[in-house]
Amino acid sequence: MTALMDFLLVFSQPQLLLLVGVGTFAGIYVGAIPGLSVTMAVSILISFTFSWDVYPAISLMIGIYMGGVYGGSRTAILLNIPGAPSAIATALDGYPMAQRGEAGTAIGVTTVMSFIGGFVGIGVLALAAPFVSDFALKFQPRDYMLLAILGILLVGSLSQGSLVKGIFAGALGLAIGAVGRDPLTFAERFTFDLRLMEGGISFIAVMIGMFGVSEALLQLHHVDKTAVRQKISRIVPSLSTVKKHLPLSLQTSTIGVVIGALPGTGGDIAALMAYDHAKRVTKEPERPFGEGAIEGLVAPETANNAAVGGAFIPMMTLGIPGDAVTAIMIGALFIHGLNPGPMLMIDQPDMFWFIVGCLVTANCFMLLFGLTGIRVFTKIVEMPRSVMIPLIMLLSIVGAFAVNNSITDVYWMLGFGVFGYFMRHYGYPLGPVILGVILSRLLDDNWRRAIISEREDLGRFFEGIVTSPLSLVLFVAVILIFVSQTPVWRWGKARIFGKEA
Amino acid sequence: MQRIDPDHHDGTSDATPGGTPDKRRPGELGFAVILLAASLFLLWEAYGIAGFDKLSSAGAIPMAASLAMVVSAALVALRTGRLPLDRAETLMRDILPVRVILFAGLLVGYGLLLRPLGFLPTSALFLIVAVKLLAHRGWLWTVGISLISLLVIWLIFRIVFSVLMPAGIVPEAEVVQFFRALMSGGEK
Repeated sequence: MTALMDFLLVFSQPQLLLLVGVGTFAGIYVGAIPGLSVTMAVSILISFTFSWDVYPAISLMIGIYMGGVYGGSRTAILLNIPGAPSAIATALDGYPMAQRGEAGTAIGVTTVMSFIGGFVGIGVLALAAPFVSDFALKFQPRDYMLLAILGILLVGSLSQGSLVKGIFAGALGLAIGAVGRDPLTFAERFTFDLRLMEGGISFIAVMIGMFGVSEALLQLHHVDKTAVRQKISRIVPSLSTVKKHLPLSLQTSTIGVVIGALPGTGGDIAALMAYDHAKRVTKEPERPFGEGAIEGLVAPETANNAAVGGAFIPMMTLGIPGDAVTAIMIGALFIHGLNPGPMLMIDQPDMFWFIVGCLVTANCFMLLFGLTGIRVFTKIVEMPRSVMIPLIMLLSIVGAFAVNNSITDVYWMLGFGVFGYFMRHYGYPLGPVILGVILSRLLDDNWRRAIISEREDLGRFFEGIVTSPLSLVLFVAVILIFVSQTPVWRWGKARIFGKEA
Repeated sequence: MQRIDPDHHDGTSDATPGGTPDKRRPGELGFAVILLAASLFLLWEAYGIAGFDKLSSAGAIPMAASLAMVVSAALVALRTGRLPLDRAETLMRDILPVRVILFAGLLVGYGLLLRPLGFLPTSALFLIVAVKLLAHRGWLWTVGISLISLLVIWLIFRIVFSVLMPAGIVPEAEVVQFFRALMSGGEK
């Protein structure tokens, strides 16, 4: 009964309902504008909402997240430019439909399918998270340590680019997270005898710099590109169309939830896998895939929205983010004095059910806004980059300053922005840096707890890993993730299967 | 060999904007070497925290992290050094065009002027210069768009989010108070 009350909290307070609505609306537009990512929007938003109560802050962020994942499909269909990576597969069939004058149908189908996928993801989150959380209570400090390493490695290895660059980025994040005075011994770490570094580096400054400023600097390369205008007619799909594709949408929702729940993956991988699944199972599409097949829209759109609910499962139960946005949301929860992980479900189950309630509300708003306001939308998407880029930069500066009213944070943010710009140009993933900063404390504390409990004996520590089934599984997972990305593994695979891996 | 569309990167940076996977971009090797040198310096600093005192010392994780940075940066530098240079790209056109340098400079200037001048004048200056440089439109359009955008941002963040930015030379608090008094019919 209490869970139901917490779930319904968002519906009972008009202010929260409004914030979810505003967030979803803003998220759709942020997601739709190429170059503006949901990750960037949420990271900037944290700095403005950190002084709020936790409920309104979370309401707004969840709205932006849900709306943003969906919003990317709009420009994918209308302009053949996916606003977000999760909409890359959507463009393959959505744009050919728009070229034939069926943009309205395509938008309608993606909206309804995103709604269905979103609900499946939220349903699984509500059902599965309490069980995963109960299981996570059995974790020892060494398991948390392994989990932190796994989280950083997964983001590095599953993202595009090389594993080595991912490891570098994750280790850099750990080093940044260690800056300042050690909370246990008060020893100075990476402070270079500078007083301003004793308090550490604000991870929000790192985040805004890496995602916000570097993004704006990158967009300077494409400032002269202009948006193409489109005409849109009827967009609400017929009931028969929805019924016809419901089985496929349920199948691909399952793919979305499972992929979304794996730390380090996200809506983009889920959408591509779902698209591939649709191609294999659809025997007779009305049009071939890649030339405007509706199934090619149904699959990625249900999967990427189902992945949202999935991404919340490891975040809420283990404190390990499912994707870059949930990594930032973990940071937001920390700022509000909450501790994502199994204890959150026990100490504050109200927060879990509140988040589920917000997700449901955001999903409903997404359907509402998705099927309306199409004319306003086309105008906003046409906003010139020459105005948008300076505004992003300004918002990033305001955001970094607002956290501690500190100019130092602004300088950190600018420094990391320029550094992130080069990292992106040379193919270093930024996700692991942020994860490293966030998970640094978890890794550090639990390593020290674990090794102290084993009387500083490394042999006993490894013996503990081998004799505990849970630790062993996590340890093997860490090794496997690492080894599977090495050239030796690829060479071995090619030898065994007789083809290039 | 597939060139990655720079407009289709995902915003989380986990995709490379531009470049090709089998070629070295201009400046890539230099960047890798700088990272390696910085990692070595960090490893030295991490060793200085507690040396090899205890496995649970304050320096254990910093040392492990910086060692991982050194090893991975060395591998990246070695690998990058072996790749052929992408002759289709140049440093000044594809990686660090004048526009980017100019904007990085503008951002630093903003950071330096924010405290003494205050949020409103610094932001107005920044937006006008930035929009003028990017849009190549007339002064009226540039100043109009910049000031309207700034007003909207200021109203949202100062009034709705209650973010206090440096006031500098503008008596911001007095202005806000004046309008609040006006709205409440002069009541104190």
